[in-house]
Amino acid sequence: MARNGRFMVGLVGVAAVVTYLIWTGVSDTMVYYLTPAELEAKIMADPTFRDVGVKVSGRVVPGTHVEVAGQLLHRFDIHDMDNPDIVITVEYDNVLPDTFSDSESMVVDAVVEGRFRPDGVFEATSVLTKCGSRYEASPEELANG
Amino acid sequence: MNILGELALWVALPVAAWGMVLGFIGGREQRGDLVLSAERTVYAVFILILLASLGVVDNFVNDRFEYWYTANYSSRNLDIFYKIAGLWAGQRGSLLFWLLLLCLFSVLAVWSNKRKNREFMPYAVGTLMGLQLFFVVVLLFAEVNPFEKLGFTPVDGAGLNPQLQNYWMTFHPPTLYLGFTAFAIPFAFAVAALLSGRLDSRWIHVTRKWILLSWFFLSVGIVLGMRWAYEELGWGGYWFWDPVENASLLPWLTATAFLHSIQIQENRGMLKVWNMSLVILTFVLTIFATFLTRSGLIESVHTFAENTTIAFIFLTFMGSVVAGGAVLILYRLPQLRSETQIESFLSREAAFLFNNLILLGATFAVMWGTLLPLLSEGFFGEQITVGPPFFNRVNIPIGLVLLALMGIGPVIAWRRASRRNLRKNFLVPVMVGGVTGVVLWALGVRYGWALATFTISAFVLTVIVTEFWKGTRARARIEGEGFIPAFYHLISRNRRRWGGYIVHVAIVMIFTAFAAEPWYVEIQQTMEPGETTEVASPLGSTYSLTYEGMSTNVRDPDQNLAWQAVALLRVERDGRSAGTLRTEKRGYIRPEGQQSTEVGILSRASEDLYVILADVDLQGVVVDNDPAAQAATFTFLVKPLVGGIWAGLFVLILGSLIGLWPSAERVRSAATVRSGRDPFPDAAPALGD
Repeated sequence: MARNGRFMVGLVGVAAVVTYLIWTGVSDTMVYYLTPAELEAKIMADPTFRDVGVKVSGRVVPGTHVEVAGQLLHRFDIHDMDNPDIVITVEYDNVLPDTFSDSESMVVDAVVEGRFRPDGVFEATSVLTKCGSRYEASPEELANG
Repeated sequence: MNILGELALWVALPVAAWGMVLGFIGGREQRGDLVLSAERTVYAVFILILLASLGVVDNFVNDRFEYWYTANYSSRNLDIFYKIAGLWAGQRGSLLFWLLLLCLFSVLAVWSNKRKNREFMPYAVGTLMGLQLFFVVVLLFAEVNPFEKLGFTPVDGAGLNPQLQNYWMTFHPPTLYLGFTAFAIPFAFAVAALLSGRLDSRWIHVTRKWILLSWFFLSVGIVLGMRWAYEELGWGGYWFWDPVENASLLPWLTATAFLHSIQIQENRGMLKVWNMSLVILTFVLTIFATFLTRSGLIESVHTFAENTTIAFIFLTFMGSVVAGGAVLILYRLPQLRSETQIESFLSREAAFLFNNLILLGATFAVMWGTLLPLLSEGFFGEQITVGPPFFNRVNIPIGLVLLALMGIGPVIAWRRASRRNLRKNFLVPVMVGGVTGVVLWALGVRYGWALATFTISAFVLTVIVTEFWKGTRARARIEGEGFIPAFYHLISRNRRRWGGYIVHVAIVMIFTAFAAEPWYVEIQQTMEPGETTEVASPLGSTYSLTYEGMSTNVRDPDQNLAWQAVALLRVERDGRSAGTLRTEKRGYIRPEGQQSTEVGILSRASEDLYVILADVDLQGVVVDNDPAAQAATFTFLVKPLVGGIWAGLFVLILGSLIGLWPSAERVRSAATVRSGRDPFPDAAPALGD
């Protein structure tokens, strides 16, 4: 039994190390994933939240995409899915995904990660877009398309 | 054909249910006639599901857009190749395809066990038919019927996402699915062992090749997915820790643990409860992966008004499998006692056990990170996510310990390693590893994780090479053979062991390639035609890339292209010509408005040069055809050692095939089966005879 006891110590040791890695990993790297409405509510409740890095998921507002000529600096708006009045202006200094579009005929959802600058623009360090096969078109869209 | 297909799906429902009931009752009542009948339903459902799958393919090939699934994943101008692959392009088809593979493997399992292992067959067939029934129910009742009609017929379909129109994407999902479904066989035999009460290592022995086959397909599927991401996603990465990727990694991790832990049960009669739990866990994770891969549950929670029926059905099913498995294990607990105990920390058992604990730790960490958004939403009403930094932090240390164990496990003695055993087997490899580390340090390698990976890799490779060398030399001496025949016979006499070592070499290669990440070079440059950019590789050579210019095409319906802008770059390496690279942006006719970037890759054994057309004035180049608008921004990447991943895949395939190849003994026993003699006289009498 003494031997088994020693193995229990080994087992608990491994479990403790893995738990420690997960725990510190999560607390050091976690990011809030919010809708624009949730983000607004959070900043209302606690203004310091403005400076926290977050991930925000919203819908690209058609016609808002501006590209600074000769640079890879992009600016566009996203709005809350449920409340189109809540809009965030995003700036992104890199190549946008191929599936990004601000065309009227397409519905593009974007997940942007970054933080607000003092001037109220959301400076994104990454932009992901959601559309295509994984997000299936509705039959109505097909009928119209 | 399509009417027949849908009808076949409906007919499969009662047949599968009937097969399940007959299997279990036949096993309980020891009624050979019922069991035979149940086995026939396995063949029948396979044919029915094959018909249903052909129906879906027929819908694609003949452009039947009145069906929701076809309308959403195809278009008239889609290449016939991708139309056939449409069977697994989306969730609905994938589920049917999954079922088809499950049926195929069930047929193979029943057919190959016609005259042996009869004590397991009734329950194994019952379990497999239960699984098939579940998938038929999902297809028919969970709003995912691939034969659902729209109610009107669109002129054309929406088209297939261009990112899925890639060679690798055609083979990656089916390979993973082969891995997922093959694991249903070991699971079914484990359930059969629990139900029949035959709880020795026999069920493991019977399904060993299935376990390896499943693991093989999972590994290949995962690496093919990496290759797809590398070529198609256009940012030069191959692994993103995306929920869908993680979902396929989870069963791979537990299947790897299982592949090792069964060896302890076979050799030492220990870990019986553990193995039963692992086989059930791995199976549930294959279902979980299938569910997560196509449901988009994690990414799209904020827009999650989609199909909740299927989530409910799958979660209930996974919950029932876990609960049912737990009940069965508890019920059989007295018969699952270990025959022996671990004697020492310094033993092969301990190394394998440690490997298992670590792999499960990694499984838990990956699962936790993947499900964190859902869990935090459920418990706190707020979504919290973790990305690659989290997964790397947790999994790099875990991966290094696993890597080291690949050098320790194969040569440490069973039961208790003597000091002599340790010195004999480890002195040289540890020294080689140490010297490698010191030399790399002296050469200026300062990245801690990379240095550790290279050091441990050198240790593991030395252990494996030494084992091959010792085995071959001993055989050559004893049998009086030349070295090459001795090497061949060495491997063929114990394919599982030596095949396993070769797979370990593959894993070392892949890990080494991962470790080179800190040396990746990335340069972004805007260039006019005729301009040259120099990119220095960390391995010493210098690339000169000259932008030759942009050629454009407009509208090519045969290729589904609305437009195309192709940049050509002339490449010189250290002043010598190394060819031309092309990278382009394309717009598609279907899906309308969708565009993609194709990258250019120049591969060598030591590194890849990877070129992305990052940005170009599409209006000026494509629409106005303005020669002054040809300035383009490129991203140039140099990726040392990345080829090790793809080369590692080939080594992995080689090692797995050596392990999977039928041994001479098995071929002989198969012959005796055909001649009618029972090769397993110790087994219970065959029920079906």
